[in-house]
Amino acid sequence: MKKLLALVSALTLSAALLAGCASAPASTPASTGSTAGAASTAAEAKPVELRVVSSFSGTDGNRKAFETAYKAWEAATGNTVKDESQTSDETWKAKVLADFETGSDPDVLFFFNGNDANTIVEGGKVVSIEDIRKEYPNYASNMNDSSIPASPVDGKQYAVPTAGYWEGMFTNTKVLEDCGLTAPDANTTWDEFLEMCETIKAKGYTPIAASLQQVPHYWFEFTILNNDGVTGHLNVPATADDAAGKAWQAGLEDIKVLYEKGYFPANTLSASDEETFQLMYDGKAAFAIDGSWKTGQIVDNVDADHLADYTCTYVPAKGDRKPTDIIGGLSMGYYITEKAWADPDKRAAAVSFVEALTTDEVIIEMAAGSAATALKVAPPKPADLNSLQEAAFNMVAGATSVTPAVQDYIKPEAKAQILETDTKLVANGSITAAQALENMIKANG
Amino acid sequence: MHNNSMIFKKKTPLLVFLVPAFAFMAVYLFYPFVMNIINSFSDIPSLGASSKGWLDPWYSNYQRLVTDPYMRTAFVNTMLMMLCTIVFQVGIALILAMLVDNIRRGSGFFRTVYFFPIVISATALGLMFNLLFWYDTGPINTILLQFGWDHLVNWKEDHWMFTMFTPVMWQYVGYYFVIIVTGLNNISPDVYEAAEIDGATGMQVVWRIKLPLLYNTLCTCLTLAITGALKVFDLPWTMMPKGIPLEKSWLTGTYMYKYSLGGANNIGYSSAIAIFIVILGVLLSQLANRIFKEKDY
Amino acid sequence: MPNKTAAVQLKRRRISPSKIITYIILSLWAVTTIFPFIWVIINSFKERKYILTQSFALPIGELFTLNNFTETFEKFAVGPAYRNSLIISGTVTIAVIIISGLCAYGMARYNFRGRKILQTLLIASMMFPVFSTIIPVFSMQTKWGIVNNTVPLSWVSVILPQIAGNIAFGTVVLMGYIRSLPIDLEEAAYLEGYGVFRIFFRIIMPLAKPSFATIAIFSFLWSYNDLFTQMFYLRSADYFTITRLLNEISSQSGGTNHGWMAAAVVIVVIPVLVVYVFLQKNIVKGLTAGAIKG
Repeated sequence: MKKLLALVSALTLSAALLAGCASAPASTPASTGSTAGAASTAAEAKPVELRVVSSFSGTDGNRKAFETAYKAWEAATGNTVKDESQTSDETWKAKVLADFETGSDPDVLFFFNGNDANTIVEGGKVVSIEDIRKEYPNYASNMNDSSIPASPVDGKQYAVPTAGYWEGMFTNTKVLEDCGLTAPDANTTWDEFLEMCETIKAKGYTPIAASLQQVPHYWFEFTILNNDGVTGHLNVPATADDAAGKAWQAGLEDIKVLYEKGYFPANTLSASDEETFQLMYDGKAAFAIDGSWKTGQIVDNVDADHLADYTCTYVPAKGDRKPTDIIGGLSMGYYITEKAWADPDKRAAAVSFVEALTTDEVIIEMAAGSAATALKVAPPKPADLNSLQEAAFNMVAGATSVTPAVQDYIKPEAKAQILETDTKLVANGSITAAQALENMIKANG
Repeated sequence: MHNNSMIFKKKTPLLVFLVPAFAFMAVYLFYPFVMNIINSFSDIPSLGASSKGWLDPWYSNYQRLVTDPYMRTAFVNTMLMMLCTIVFQVGIALILAMLVDNIRRGSGFFRTVYFFPIVISATALGLMFNLLFWYDTGPINTILLQFGWDHLVNWKEDHWMFTMFTPVMWQYVGYYFVIIVTGLNNISPDVYEAAEIDGATGMQVVWRIKLPLLYNTLCTCLTLAITGALKVFDLPWTMMPKGIPLEKSWLTGTYMYKYSLGGANNIGYSSAIAIFIVILGVLLSQLANRIFKEKDY
Repeated sequence: MPNKTAAVQLKRRRISPSKIITYIILSLWAVTTIFPFIWVIINSFKERKYILTQSFALPIGELFTLNNFTETFEKFAVGPAYRNSLIISGTVTIAVIIISGLCAYGMARYNFRGRKILQTLLIASMMFPVFSTIIPVFSMQTKWGIVNNTVPLSWVSVILPQIAGNIAFGTVVLMGYIRSLPIDLEEAAYLEGYGVFRIFFRIIMPLAKPSFATIAIFSFLWSYNDLFTQMFYLRSADYFTITRLLNEISSQSGGTNHGWMAAAVVIVVIPVLVVYVFLQKNIVKGLTAGAIKG
């Protein structure tokens, strides 16, 4: 017993001592760094540590741009960043909001600018761009004000957007070739798409790589866009029978058709998104709708000489929508929190941090030529694009309209209800589209 | 049982003995639990936010609890999990323990190996089983194909209950195994001697001596199985998050998580489910204790 | 000693068919418990593309690679994560031993009013799901200012809830064991002039050694493996423990870099394996002694 206790305490103690040495260089600037940085920048009275919460975790395609930019900012100002980046998912969102509610507010937050942020805007936890500009007139001056998304709560702008997102269709051209098909283009109709799927299925491939249980989001968005068109797309159903309600039902029915015809993977009701997208990598599936962030992931996952097997194109359309009407927007941006703003030491640092991370250069790098930005300058086409990035660039360049995703316009609870629970149940026939819509409307309050 | 020895007449040292532990539990368990009870009757807009007052009617979360079909699914699955825990975990453990009790060589090895899965993080195990059950094509499906199966088995959909329960069962067999083995070791050798003199056969020894004398041990296993089944979370959540497939695989624990941190964002309701879990656990273990009263020999 | 007679009898018997069947059944179960880990270890040494296609092949020749490990070590701070894990779980272990030891002794030996109620509270608190208490605890600790602060404070913010979570189990197991100890020794010591605390530290702790060892090992493992609490409090990379890192690796690998995932599982499991193999006698002995009488 004694030996065991001694062993544990000895290990713990030695680890603690080790910790002292190892963490010293990292934590010094934060706690005792007041001497180090003072000389380098006259503007900063006292180097501070900013707690930055973001979704730029290792998986994010923009992680590198984010890290390079904030490291440069650290070096230039002598301030430090406590980087709390995590992959964005429901749990992450819940935790970020819980942080604010429990008084553990970060200083700078990179977060969604739609309904997800309603509670922090309502609670006065973040500072509007307007208020910041009263003191720092040049804040976000490289942006077109009209392009900066406003909070649904009060119509004010809070978050300084970086590069936005778009959603498009990734295809495995090798699979298509084997079926004697070419990738859909700017003119492909929904019916032609269904025919293609039939051919692909007959050849023994999976036409669509998608996990209906985890990420039906993209198919949901485009099937609705196909049914309500660009002009009506952002209307949220108030009843199941209004125009939007009917369009949403019709969209869900379209997904149901795809499911019933067996175009989704056999395990689409249980597989994870990674598992189904793996079918694209394995050359077993032909289509997947995904966001701009997928481009980087495909590049990372595929050998350079096989990259030509993948391309990015428009999602086939029906009704009023043209295939070149795409989904996209600026869904996230940097917030400065009231906590940092109220802290005289941190106010200037937070402003300079956000400015440093939203310069033209940083945003243009993040946009990689294709994503939307709010910048005044038009992002030039980068020179060294690979074939997939090139395809994405051309797709966005040829778009006739870019509409934000309507699913960001409903409450998080309603979104969870319809996307995480009900869409797959409609596809599988467990509930009707009308029931799903009623559930959504109820959850949306 | 309690003694009246002189040592323990003076009660002041008792404070030193009890206060640290109960202070810790009061601050970190009882206080939050009371908060849970209050929360379950309150209107709470979001995680960590303060309450906007009582719900109207105040019991509406409990009303929802009774009528929610997925809650029913979760309850049924948890009860099944409990039943399987008792039948398979304790059952397999009992058989293995009886067998190990009959051998001399290698019994130490088997004990070490059987207990091993318990010390591994359930999250790591979950990731491992995800790989094993991978549809296209993980090792299990590869083996099946090699044995002439003509299609890939969709484990998480067509056999979701098997896929979710088996790893949980497998992980904890060793726990009950070790408890039962110790119970067997505690049986006095005199009993076996007497049996041998009476000319009892191996099976008779098992049925007439070992099993009856294991009664108390098995009662302990029962209580542990009941509380254990109610707490299972990590492994199912890693393997079958969000009730896949088609909202069929919810357990009380995972369903509660859905409403606290899993995106559905309803703290009041998740608190109500937590209260339900604790009450169910206390009731069932009390019930088990009543029915299978421990015997003194 | 108790099994001596039984052992002698066993020796007399011949190797019978039933014995062979016994060994076969026992070995089959042993295979199920060992094989999955061997499978993961084998595959952690293969390139990701071979893991699903040739999952049963040994990693030799062309298949063999150390890349999964070198990449994991390059990309993630594995060393500091081990350090954080060790400090957090080590402290939790020591605190749980002392606090629940004291509590168990008081509960086992003293007669006082309210004992029954305290005992019920102990049992009930073993049933609380962690995720039901985490939000109030989180806001409480935030008010104290220990959340998301310096690295040592972030250790504290995980250590305290984990101690609280293990005390009830520790107390219940130890109580059972201490009650089964004859009181004569304590009385003798008392007559020698020992105070009650000296009795606890000098007599009870050594006597209940196997049971204390169990508590130590279990507290350590639970704390080490408790991803949920760690996910909540350890946000930035400096704080990550090894289990938290496993989660990070698996999420960063997008769920499809099986090579990384296998390597990460191995990295997490190895220390546990070492602790377990060295201390398994204590685990088995102590756990059962307590659990049965508890």
